[in-house]
Parts: sequence; C-alpha cells; structure tokens
Amino acid sequence: MDNKKILSKAFTASLPVLMGYTTMGMAAGILLSGTIQRSDIVLWAFLSSLTSISGALQFAIVDWIDNRIPLLDVALLTCFLNVRYAMYGLSLLEKFSGISFWKKCYLIWSLTDETYALETESREDDKKSTLRYCLAVAAFDHSYWVIGVTIGAVAGKFLPFSTRGIDFAMTALFLVVLTDQCKDRRNIYPAVIGVLSAVAGRIFFSTSNMLIPAMILMTAVFIIFRKKLEKLFIDAEVSK
Amino acid sequence: MSGETLYIIAVIAVTAGVTVLLRAFPFLLFSSGRKCPPVINYIGKVLSPAAIAMLVVYCLCSVYKDKSFSGIWGIPEAAGCITVIILHKWKGNPLLSIFAGTAVYMTITQCFF
Repeated sequence: MDNKKILSKAFTASLPVLMGYTTMGMAAGILLSGTIQRSDIVLWAFLSSLTSISGALQFAIVDWIDNRIPLLDVALLTCFLNVRYAMYGLSLLEKFSGISFWKKCYLIWSLTDETYALETESREDDKKSTLRYCLAVAAFDHSYWVIGVTIGAVAGKFLPFSTRGIDFAMTALFLVVLTDQCKDRRNIYPAVIGVLSAVAGRIFFSTSNMLIPAMILMTAVFIIFRKKLEKLFIDAEVSK
Repeated sequence: MSGETLYIIAVIAVTAGVTVLLRAFPFLLFSSGRKCPPVINYIGKVLSPAAIAMLVVYCLCSVYKDKSFSGIWGIPEAAGCITVIILHKWKGNPLLSIFAGTAVYMTITQCFF
C-alpha cells in the first residue's frame, strides 16, 4: 500500500482519539495553568505533554508541583500510575521487531492506552505497511495530546470565571477511569484493596505523605495474598 | 533560574524518564525470546486499578484539605462524585462526566460555602 493511503487510513482510525485527547488534554491544561500561577506555565504544559504523553499523569503532576513533593516520590508515583504501560509492550514485541532503532524508540515512547489499542488491532497487507501505519497512528495521537494540553494551558489563563474548586477535575478523571475499570469485574478486588490501602495510609500519615505507604501496603498485600487473589480473578472471569 | 523553575523542569524530566522506561521495559528485557515471569504479569494487572482507586481517595483528601471552610461533611465532594459515577454509567462519555462533576462541585463550593 502506498504511503498516502496508509496515512489517510491511520488518520481515520485516530479520529475518536482526536476528540478524546484534545478535550481531555484541554481539561488537564486548564487545571495546570489555573492552579500553578506562573507566566511561563504554557511552556511547561507543552513540554510535559510532549515528553510524557500520559493522561492521568498530566492531571497528577499539577498536584505534585503545587505541593512541591520530593522528586523520589514523583518517580515512585509515576511508576505506580503508569505501570500498565509496561504490560503493553509484551504483546507488541513481535509486531515491532525488525524496525530501525529510532522508529522503534518513537513507537515505544508514544505508547499510550489509545495508541496501543489501535496498534494491536492493525493488520496491513505486509509487515512494512503495518509498521508505517503504527508510526502514523502514534504521531497523530501524540500531536492531538500536545495540542489539547497546550491550548488548555493558554485558555486556563483567560477563564472569565473563578476557578476555585477546579482541582476536583482530577478526582473526577480518576473516578471515571476507575468506573471504567470496574466494568471488568476482575478489577474490583484490586480496586477495593487500593481504596483500603489509601485509607490506611491517610489514617497513619498526613494527606501529603500518604501515597508511598499506601503503595507499599497494597503491593505487599498483592504479593502475600497472590494465590487467593488470582483465584478470585479467575472466578470473576468465569462468572462474567 | 529560580528554584521553582528548576523544580518544574525536574518533575517533567523525572515523569517523562520513568514513563518511557516503563514503556520500554518489555523491549529491554524480553526481546531475545525470554518469557515474562507470571508474577510480573499478575502485578501489572492488579496494580493498575489499585493505584487509580488509591488516587481517588488521595484526591478527595487533598481537595478537602485545601478548603478554607470546614465542617460541611464533604457534601460538595459527595455530590461531585455521585454526578461523575451516575453520568458515566449512564452515558459512558468521560469528558461529559468530568466536566459535569467538576461543574457541580465548583457551583456548590462557590455558591454555598
């Protein structure tokens, strides 16, 4: 297939992502520039969306920057928030093999939830076309995200009404993700453990220090009760 | 360059670096045909919903903490959350749910408290 055809096919496939990323990105951008009062915030919004390309993270860093949390905590939290990305590559190892180094780097760097979904579905006539298609989809999705966040950050500076309470948008985002995940009943047990760990973290620590203990606690619970939880996992899958 | 600017640059660098390492993890470790151990698969599956659930609790604590008013039993938070969950179960549109939930929360906090 020629390049033009691949490009238009990739663009069509990425249209739902265009709607999602630009609007969601705008929400994250507005939250960032509404919360962090700096004249150069648009630049940081742009750089962050360009380098991380991660929805939940883009919302979360607003709070981290606002509270000046230590960099080690930033690293650990990012790890927990985005650990699912480490699983995506497993099913793409075969597909991404035999591609030039830099193209492979870009495909890995730009691997978001939505891009992953489009890439795993893709099946072109030959391997070369498939990889071109994946690259095009990745670049389209990436640009939507950067555009959305940057426009949002600009808009956030000129909002004609008070932004007091806008930080609730982050809670709402995570709640939406959680609601989606719990449609798959297997995710309910881990989610409950997550809530309980967080509550335990809050009881024994202050709000700004609760996350790391909560993460350690939940990981420990997952490892100690692995056998039981995996059984629940399988049972939930059967009863689905 | 001010300390805050340096801090923001550092946050962006750390988040981008960790995210890219996570994405590259399987390619770095298992590209030579080695199989991924099942415990990593398991942890990856369960940690994702657990971390999101934890963040919901954390955000609620942090939203609540920042307010100058107190003793209102978390009414705006509860109203916002219920709006998000019901709308999302009903319509399934993430943006609608986020915007409506935030609007409800902002309206209640700005008008009544």
